[in-house]
Amino acid sequence: MKRTFAVAALLAASTLAFPALAEYPEKPIEIVVGYSAGGGTDVMARAVAKYFETALGNGASVVVKNMPGAGGQIGFTEVAKAKPDGYTLGTFNLPAALALTYDRKADYDASSFTYLANFVEDPNTVVVSATSEFETLDQLLTAAKADPGAITMGLSALGGNDHFAANMISDAAGVEFTLVPFKGASMARTALMGQHVAAGTMTLSQTVSFKDDLRVLAVLSDKRSSFRPDVPTARELGYDVKMSSLRGIVAPAGLPAEITEKLRKALTDVNAMEDFQSMMAKQGNPMSFVAGKDFEDIATQQNEVAKGIWEKTPWR
Amino acid sequence: MYSDLIQSLPDVLAWANLAALVIGVLAGIIVGAMPGLSATMAISVLVPFTFGLEPLVALGLMAGIYNGAMYGGAIPAVLLRIPGTPAAVATTFDGYPMAQRGEGGFALQVAVVSSAFGGVASAFALMLLAPPLSRVTLLFGPAEVFWVAVFGLCSIIFLLGGNVAKGLISACFGVFVSVVGSDPIFGNDRYTFDRLELLDGIHIVILLVGLYALPPVIDLLESPLKTENSAGDHLGTEPIWRTFPRMLRFWKTWIRSALIGIWIGILPGAGGSMAAFMSYNEARRASKTPETWGHGEPEGVAASETANNADTAAALIPALTLGIPGTAVAAIMLGGLLIHGLQPGPMLFRNNPDIVFGFMWQFLFGAILLVFLGGSLATNSFAKLLKLPRPLLGSVIIVLMLIGVYSIHGRMFDVYLMLGFGAIGYVMDKLKFPLPPVVLGLILGGFAEENLRLALRIGRGDWIVLFQNVTSLVLVALTVAVVVGPMIKKRIVKARKTEGKV
Repeated sequence: MKRTFAVAALLAASTLAFPALAEYPEKPIEIVVGYSAGGGTDVMARAVAKYFETALGNGASVVVKNMPGAGGQIGFTEVAKAKPDGYTLGTFNLPAALALTYDRKADYDASSFTYLANFVEDPNTVVVSATSEFETLDQLLTAAKADPGAITMGLSALGGNDHFAANMISDAAGVEFTLVPFKGASMARTALMGQHVAAGTMTLSQTVSFKDDLRVLAVLSDKRSSFRPDVPTARELGYDVKMSSLRGIVAPAGLPAEITEKLRKALTDVNAMEDFQSMMAKQGNPMSFVAGKDFEDIATQQNEVAKGIWEKTPWR
Repeated sequence: MYSDLIQSLPDVLAWANLAALVIGVLAGIIVGAMPGLSATMAISVLVPFTFGLEPLVALGLMAGIYNGAMYGGAIPAVLLRIPGTPAAVATTFDGYPMAQRGEGGFALQVAVVSSAFGGVASAFALMLLAPPLSRVTLLFGPAEVFWVAVFGLCSIIFLLGGNVAKGLISACFGVFVSVVGSDPIFGNDRYTFDRLELLDGIHIVILLVGLYALPPVIDLLESPLKTENSAGDHLGTEPIWRTFPRMLRFWKTWIRSALIGIWIGILPGAGGSMAAFMSYNEARRASKTPETWGHGEPEGVAASETANNADTAAALIPALTLGIPGTAVAAIMLGGLLIHGLQPGPMLFRNNPDIVFGFMWQFLFGAILLVFLGGSLATNSFAKLLKLPRPLLGSVIIVLMLIGVYSIHGRMFDVYLMLGFGAIGYVMDKLKFPLPPVVLGLILGGFAEENLRLALRIGRGDWIVLFQNVTSLVLVALTVAVVVGPMIKKRIVKARKTEGKV
């Protein structure tokens, strides 16, 4: 009788002790994507999720949850307001996610997130049709200077990196473009190819499959891209302009340090996996892995850029 | 290129890929036939799962669902006057009167054969002419697309029904719904009442389900004890080999509608519903007996169903070659391709010919499979559903509507919105306001607005930009001819008649 009691007590003790001993994660981790399945951000999230499970070990399970709508805002808000317990993560698009805190009412800002790691950095370009009369960036800017507003510039939307890129170029060169915001980058690209607009600022990955139809005049980053090493940077051409679209993973602000460390390390491990890298390359993603504090700094700086442009030339 | 086409054939015929296609077509017909569930939804549910599948299996499923759903939408459109998908609205015009006359079986057979014809024509366009047709897409900038939308809006005139004022009010209501959400250029909120859910505008399926499916269901339930069922009760189905010869007289409509469907397909953003409406109008215009249209003319079913299936594969032409999807479904399919590392663009055809051309074959086989799978499934199984007691049938449809609308974005807000539209639809139905102009107004209103504003930005505010090239001018001429032509014709006929009397 005593022995049964002892066994029962032991069992009870062990079941009580286990939750405390159990290591994070003990249930599936959700990655919230603010866009529908199959978009560039979603594909990144799914690739990360796949290798994240291996990196976390312990039979961890990571699921992607799509919450499309309002240009990603519904998803970003969901992450910002989630419990910071490490079970809700989200994809994060810069500068878009922070730009929309200026041009509309948003329930979050740059400080609402724990910045885990950024994977993709896709630089903006200045691009014209392959049959365009403009052979160089200078020719385009000279024409824009001669007749302010005569050069139409196709963009994916106002308040995104395409728009900021156009704005920064026109500031740096002291010229004026007529901005034409299409529904999405591929619509802008098609209008460019059909010569309905004169130029565009889409990201480099948008141009890669259309090498024969488009002429990339400059790439807006510090160094030339390995995707198109033949294209000069804007800085080389004398315009200090840098703009890109970044995609990374964040968690809600206030995530316990222990879990933050664990997640950052696992994401760093994901990035080191060869399969992951080749998968991302196949999908045409220019990679630029940045984790932790450095990622946060980028977000802060992008936030400043968006704020600066909004204050100077509000787009609505 | 054409040798790649042949080389990709054996892979498509591998049993797993073929099985995927068959399952896809069946699933598509079922999904399409359920009010509230659409191809867009089915494929977006599928996309995440395809991550782990072989590319051709995944694409086969998608191609099958797309083809199947475009036909499946016709089943409730004919039997219950509830379009299963937005593209099946025009099918209700003549399909439902046929069913009321006891010819529902024939209407469904016309629908399946026409759908298959449209799908096959579209698949051939995709297989043989994708690169040249993508050049045609490039001709259509914002100004040109605006004129296409205006051309489409003019067809509202023919959908107004008896009372022009009521029809125009309906159309204005549709256009008003299209205004809700952030504006296409600056993103200013319009009638969103600070609800994030309204920022992207109102999804067409929410409006369609509320407006079209709820009122008939209420009708069903208003007299629950009636013993005879809705019109589909007596289908009068004959074997398809006996009815087929009667369809051959539609050959002109088939060809015309297939061409319209393909053309609308390669224009980004227009979609199957516009194709179906336009082809219905053109077919009626060409008909010798336009007065029978709207009262159960099988040719009307043929026109609408050919065009909405001809839109499917064609919509992939700009999607694959330019990365711009012609329809919402094509947009999701593009995502499915991206998941498998297939990036749209001219390189796609060079880098992955086996998969791209395989996908095209799947569209062709999917369209052919429709005849075999769709014909018997619709007339044998779905028609039986209508034998259910009225309260049961009504509640099944309501449940499907709620699930379908909820699953678009996974939120209750949309369901409440749908019920609101249902109430509006019920009142409109009772007061005899026509519903099709609402749908067309919503689809084309937003389309026209966006492109007009883009064109004016390109022209820096000068309206002359709308008349600056040949494509625009041809479209303007067509629009004028369509609107003014019938009036002149009427006047001439009248003049002759009076002359005869004198």
